[in-house]
Amino acid sequence: MKPAAFEYLAPVSLAEAVAALGRDDAKILAGGQSLVPMLNFRLRAPSLLVDIGRIPGLDYIEDDRAGGLRIGAMTRHHTVETSDLLRQRFPVLHAAMQYVAHLAIRNKGTIGGSLCHGDPAAELPGLMLLLDARLKTTQRTIAAEDFYEGALDTALAEDEILTEILLPPLPAGTGWGFEEFARRSGDFALTAVGATVGEEARIVAIGAHETPLRLRAAEALFPDIEAAAEAAREEVSPNDDLHGSADYRRHLVSVLTRHALMSAREGAAS
Amino acid sequence: MEIEARPKMIGARVQRVEDPRMLTGHGRFIDDINLPRTLHIAFCRSDHGHARIAAIDSAEAAGMPGVAAVVTAADIEGLLQTVRATSTMANFHGTELPVLAMDKVRHVGEPIAAVLAESRYLAEDAAERIAVTYEALPTVIDPAAAAEPDAPLLHEEIGSNVLIERTFERGEVDAAMAAAPVRVGGHFRMHRKTPVAMENRGYLADYDQGRGSLTLHSTTQVPGIVRDTLVRMLDLPGNRLRVVAPDVGGGFGGKTALYREEVLVCVLARKFGRPVKWLSDRLEDLISTSQAFDEVVEAELACDDEGQILGLRADVIGDVGAYSGYPWSAAIEPVQVVSFLPGPYRVENYRGRVRGVATSKSPMGAYRGVGRPISTFVMERLIDMAAVKLSLDPLEMRRRNMVRAEEFPYKSASGIVWDRAGFLECLETACDGADYGALRRQQAAARQQGRWVGIGLASYVELTGLGSRIAVAPGMPVNTGTESATVRIDSTGAVTAYFGIASHGQGLETTLAQIVAEELGARLQDIEVLHGDSDAVAHGTGTYASRSAVLAGGAAIVSARAVREQVMKAASHLLEADAGDMDAANGEIFVKGTDRRLSFRELARAVYTEVNRLPRELREDIELEASNIYDPYFGTATPATHLAVVEVDPETFGVTVQRYVVADDCGRIINPLIADGQVHGGVAQGIGAALLEEVVYDDTGQILTASLMDYVVPTAVEIPAMEVFHLETELPNNIGGFRGLGEGGTIGAPAAIANAIADAVGHLNIDINELPMTPERLFRLVSQKEE
Ligand SMILES: Cc1cc2nc3c(=O)[nH]c(=O)nc-3n(C[C@H](O)[C@H](O)[C@H](O)COP(=O)(O)OP(=O)(O)OC[C@H]3O[C@@H](n4cnc5c(N)ncnc54)[C@H](O)[C@@H]3O)c2cc1C
Repeated sequence: MKPAAFEYLAPVSLAEAVAALGRDDAKILAGGQSLVPMLNFRLRAPSLLVDIGRIPGLDYIEDDRAGGLRIGAMTRHHTVETSDLLRQRFPVLHAAMQYVAHLAIRNKGTIGGSLCHGDPAAELPGLMLLLDARLKTTQRTIAAEDFYEGALDTALAEDEILTEILLPPLPAGTGWGFEEFARRSGDFALTAVGATVGEEARIVAIGAHETPLRLRAAEALFPDIEAAAEAAREEVSPNDDLHGSADYRRHLVSVLTRHALMSAREGAAS
Repeated sequence: MEIEARPKMIGARVQRVEDPRMLTGHGRFIDDINLPRTLHIAFCRSDHGHARIAAIDSAEAAGMPGVAAVVTAADIEGLLQTVRATSTMANFHGTELPVLAMDKVRHVGEPIAAVLAESRYLAEDAAERIAVTYEALPTVIDPAAAAEPDAPLLHEEIGSNVLIERTFERGEVDAAMAAAPVRVGGHFRMHRKTPVAMENRGYLADYDQGRGSLTLHSTTQVPGIVRDTLVRMLDLPGNRLRVVAPDVGGGFGGKTALYREEVLVCVLARKFGRPVKWLSDRLEDLISTSQAFDEVVEAELACDDEGQILGLRADVIGDVGAYSGYPWSAAIEPVQVVSFLPGPYRVENYRGRVRGVATSKSPMGAYRGVGRPISTFVMERLIDMAAVKLSLDPLEMRRRNMVRAEEFPYKSASGIVWDRAGFLECLETACDGADYGALRRQQAAARQQGRWVGIGLASYVELTGLGSRIAVAPGMPVNTGTESATVRIDSTGAVTAYFGIASHGQGLETTLAQIVAEELGARLQDIEVLHGDSDAVAHGTGTYASRSAVLAGGAAIVSARAVREQVMKAASHLLEADAGDMDAANGEIFVKGTDRRLSFRELARAVYTEVNRLPRELREDIELEASNIYDPYFGTATPATHLAVVEVDPETFGVTVQRYVVADDCGRIINPLIADGQVHGGVAQGIGAALLEEVVYDDTGQILTASLMDYVVPTAVEIPAMEVFHLETELPNNIGGFRGLGEGGTIGAPAAIANAIADAVGHLNIDINELPMTPERLFRLVSQKEE
């Protein structure tokens, strides 16, 4: 479990980083919590690692002065998890962060890294869909909904760097729910569901599909929570794997949708 | 009166002397040992479950930067003698365990070629470039299918995949079962596990060409066995072959086998005249360290209307993997399943048949509990199933059948003789400790709210501290029934105690020092315990099978007492007092009732240095050193009862363990902190076995659980706080009165949790006969019921 040899570059500007990525087979290194294990298993063997950790100005959580937040791509999970501002504005994201890995990993892992890695069972990509985030890169701004193309596959070009996450404000009085089931604390979700309820409901399933998935049919059935939970089961196409069968994951999606919607409805009412 | 003032070391809650070293990062593990000019090994391992090796092309790898050599089986032929595990059991077939695969591979992960390079990185780069051409052979994955006569054979020369077959029988079981009014039974399945020690296996061999001597640094639990075996394999005299286990980060039985990589580093260090190191990474650990607990059991229990057991019948298939490991052989686990199945109960009619069957999987070996986690799981489920059928409380069912105080010594249905131990006392203590009656009331209240709460009991008895009468591996040239200790006071008055055991997390540096300190009257800090080194004593095997406290502790007592006698002889002259009027405590020898005293340091100086203090004849007669062995002859019985309270989420089917109570009888306790720690760790592994851990091979023999993302061990969050009670039933025929307790936690927990889950879902009438009981399995069981 030793990685193949690679070169390492730690540029201090985005321009320099983008230029370095022009080289064939280069890879961005952020917190290393997903990439380094893949290198050690030799699932990937890039010839160059471009460490974006020394580039100033990518680590922040800022008020956008319109009720939303701007988060720098290199902001560590632990910073996100412990931000008061974030907890006040997006309590559902704060709640979901408690399920991301273990403290040691949260100290290193970054929000940008998680989003670009695109694990369908990771919490953050699903939360971006739920919160209708916009993802700003060195080339453009992409809606979260258009960002995920498959498991571990995003819309990013090889030399494109995610720089900022824009979270638009949640309408006042929005209720929320986040429910996750994993075999152990800190594991990737076997299945998780996040929901917000305001004027309308928004539901996202995690770990039950190729990508995080908006459950639009279920959303449309709200406020009939039971019907929504039933519909949710049919909307996802999970895989069988070692930790759970597709049938079981569908079951979980339904159960967790019901609970997430009930919490969200309660929050919205109060 | 002075006797009263003497501080008791045995039984004291002493902090582990190892802790400051370990907790501040000053431990010295294999990878902390760096010798100049070391060559590092990376293996090319089989990615086939069963295949003939048609060709190995290593030319490209051999030419890669930093590569010293690529070695295959052909390159080491003639450099070592092979060994194979043998057994005196009838119907046993040993297998060769080639160091590198010869003409065929029998499981994924089997080493085929070794790259030796200047660093592990370069070695791995080259290992990737070795091209092996395979001719695939049919794999055998399902152990029951592998036992069929027409199954593809892993070892053609044996003519069958059944490596061991044995039956234990007592009474007229078929007649008793046929006539019994109540019968319960089922098909039980425990899935494959692997120990997952925190430190992976690792070996570093250093050959001294000038002296023709070899030192092997190894993560082994059994340095004595490894030394004695390598002497034969490498044709070196024992005084030129030293096996040192430095600080070792856990073993749990997984480091009690002689491993292929361990032999290979020695062969190659001698061949190349350079130190050779191999350190397993986690991937290799999960596919090549011994695996265990893979057993299929058909079992049936019969009893009368009052719940008295009338008969027990079982047919067991143990999946032993591709080879019979050295030295314990493929018999070690499966045979234990049937020999311990009757548990702590009176069973007059019994038949237990077992077959150990070879499959295309990594070899089975010892893992904490060895067989008994399975036998206990099956028997305790049967007891609960019978209780349900009879509408009897599970506690009462156990009370009615457990061997009672007046029945000891009791010969079990499989022939084990149980000496007096607190069987029923453990049951009652655990239930009192948990307030069983209150628990049942709370459970009833929770049920009213629709919550699935269950209470599970599990009782067992195990043999620990085995003496020479009962061999761990019958017929092997390994004496597991004795251990040695040398206790020595040097010229500075410091005490060093040398042992053949190898502590690797059990805190034996502390407990053995407590024993020596108490026996000598020395202070704990005056004692240095040396272990894990084949040079320490003339004969020793190591630490496994819950033996070190009993055997090494016993040897420590014998040797320390002998030294104390010598101390008293010298002190008697120096203090001008009768030995009977003197005592030793706190590092001083004193005349009782006076202020005349002498420190160990002063005494040592008088004996060794200040030649005029003692007459010459006395000086020549006094030896402040003694070496003794201890043989407990029979083993010691360690019974226990575990009680678990679990809650099953009726929607997600997640299981949480809410309370966990253990009452064991571990004889005289040396250190309560360490005794508790042994139970805590064992239960944690048992919870893993019950709920999470499973090595999975697919139909083609690929192992799917090759990382800790997929082989899931419990973390601290999944383990509840435990309440542990120790009984200290006296052991008259045992010098220290200690019973072994290293494995019990893992033996009791799977059964207790299985029973608790079964109780929680009792209203659905679901059998919990498979472990680990994952949410997926519970989901399926419940869904099937609902259909
Ligand atoms: C034991 C363990 C448990 C875990 N459990 C969870 C869990 O429960 N939930 C969860 O969500 N995650 C979990 N993780 C993953 C963790 O959250 C990672 O930190 C995260 O997925 C990756 O972030 P990183 O900063 O470490 O990225 P890296 O590992 O450095 O990079 C990940 C990928 O993203 C690319 N990348 C990184 N930053 C950018 C950028 N700004 N622009 C473009 N591409 C970029 C990299 O090239 C790489 O392909 C776990 C990890 C481990 C080791």
